Amino acid sequence: MLPVSFVQALQVLTVLVAAPGINGVVSRVQARLQGRRGTRLLQPYYDIGKWFRKEALAPVGASWVFLAAPLVAMTCYLTVPLLIPVLTTFPLPLAYLGDILGGGFILALASFVVAVAAAGTGSPYAQLGASRAKTFSAITEPVVLFVVFTVAIVTGTDLPYALARTVRASADQIVRPAHLLAAAALFLVILYETGRIPVETHTGSNEFGMIEEARPFEHSGPYLALLRWGSAMKQLILFVIFINVFVAPWGLASDASVLAVGLAILALVGKSALLGVGIAVIDDSFAKLRLFKITEFVAAAFMLAVLAVFTLYFGGG
Amino acid sequence: MGHLAQGIAEPPGSYAGLTTVLAVLMLVIEFGMLQATLLRAQVRLYAAQSVVISVLAVVVAATRHVPGLYGLAAFSVALKVVAVPLVMLRLLRRTNQEIAGSRALGVASMVLLAVAVAAFGFFASARFRLASPVLPATALAVAVAIVLVSFVLMIMRRDVVSQAVGFFVLENGVSLASLVVAASLPLILEVAFLFDLLVAVVVFGVLIRLHHLRSETLSTSQLTELRG
Repeated sequence: MLPVSFVQALQVLTVLVAAPGINGVVSRVQARLQGRRGTRLLQPYYDIGKWFRKEALAPVGASWVFLAAPLVAMTCYLTVPLLIPVLTTFPLPLAYLGDILGGGFILALASFVVAVAAAGTGSPYAQLGASRAKTFSAITEPVVLFVVFTVAIVTGTDLPYALARTVRASADQIVRPAHLLAAAALFLVILYETGRIPVETHTGSNEFGMIEEARPFEHSGPYLALLRWGSAMKQLILFVIFINVFVAPWGLASDASVLAVGLAILALVGKSALLGVGIAVIDDSFAKLRLFKITEFVAAAFMLAVLAVFTLYFGGG
Repeated sequence: MGHLAQGIAEPPGSYAGLTTVLAVLMLVIEFGMLQATLLRAQVRLYAAQSVVISVLAVVVAATRHVPGLYGLAAFSVALKVVAVPLVMLRLLRRTNQEIAGSRALGVASMVLLAVAVAAFGFFASARFRLASPVLPATALAVAVAIVLVSFVLMIMRRDVVSQAVGFFVLENGVSLASLVVAASLPLILEVAFLFDLLVAVVVFGVLIRLHHLRSETLSTSQLTELRG
């Protein structure tokens, strides 16, 4: 048996270590679908290592916020895995520190400081990305809220562990329309938040279409490494919420034994890689939306989330 | 809303859940129609929605032992999934028009409006307190929402095809409602409904061709200018 505090640290460590690898899987599958050979699965790790060895430059006139932002963002991303069921079915000591909204606030804080840092650089692209990111996250926020309402009505709380337990409880919980609609809405939000097609191209240098990806334009060296690593962690955190809370909360450890926790780590990496493959397929089958069409995308997500609450209120959800 | 008293909404059970999911899927497809830009996509979404309601009829027939519904499902597949979309697509091919005309509102605002209208439908039919032996009452609420949103589709989209498809969707909504309220209706009445649809297709076909012949477009926005 492992001490629970160690398991809790292991949750953070798993997300920290596995996050760039998921990006590697996605870009590899995407390359294969496009008929390219693609990079190594471990390429994101090599990239991060390379950036850590390079010197850091800051634009003239940038304030201390510019340098502090990557550290603050990274701290936020290291905090959220404490609150969500990454490896275990039972809540760990610090798990009730915050609910889904609390986790959402911490993620929003990370995104906010990066946007502030980008706004302070004086670079048009970074500022453009920061302002767009804030604009669109303001309109995705209601979707997230309605998803949280759904969770609250289904479980009576808004704790991620409670929803995961409810979903595991019976098959009836999975086929209920409210659950499926909320999960679909959350998936669309995740596509937006992780900067995937149809909202944004994740790779390349398509400056005018960039949103989230444009923000670290002026960062370099270890700071860029932290930002990239942080955004990979954010992606994995959202994947974990989607998989281990909403869609497939199976394969988690039900006690703190070494075997169960080890299997849970493998299961998490496998499930996240599978979701990554799904996202790569979506990336390859849809075109990027024009900037002003993103509101339509968000409206679709909002419609799904609102319908989830409606069906619940009517008693059939 | 008594079931929310304890603060937890119990799941409706697998059968009710599955059938409600199918009904909600019809509504979601209808929301897709609000957004569809290609006229062809509009017709295909209608075919998809008709597939869903046929599947729903089969599910009800199999689990609630209403063998008449198998016949209805077969009729509705033949008519709504195959015949009507084929006729519409052929009409579209003749007109050489692919993209729908202007809308009265942007897509996002139209979706929000439709959500509000659907909400009205949901909460209005919540007052009925109907208990159906074959389908959960939520499906009836969804059916009312489908009918109301189809009005949004017909009013807000300014092309003849969307308006025709909106009318056909209305019929789908009514079929869903009839599945809830009167699943064991004699088959002959259900088939009579479907033949109503056939008449509507013929009328709309003539209307579309005539309109295109006169104004060289499928958009209805110019109709207001054609005054004596």
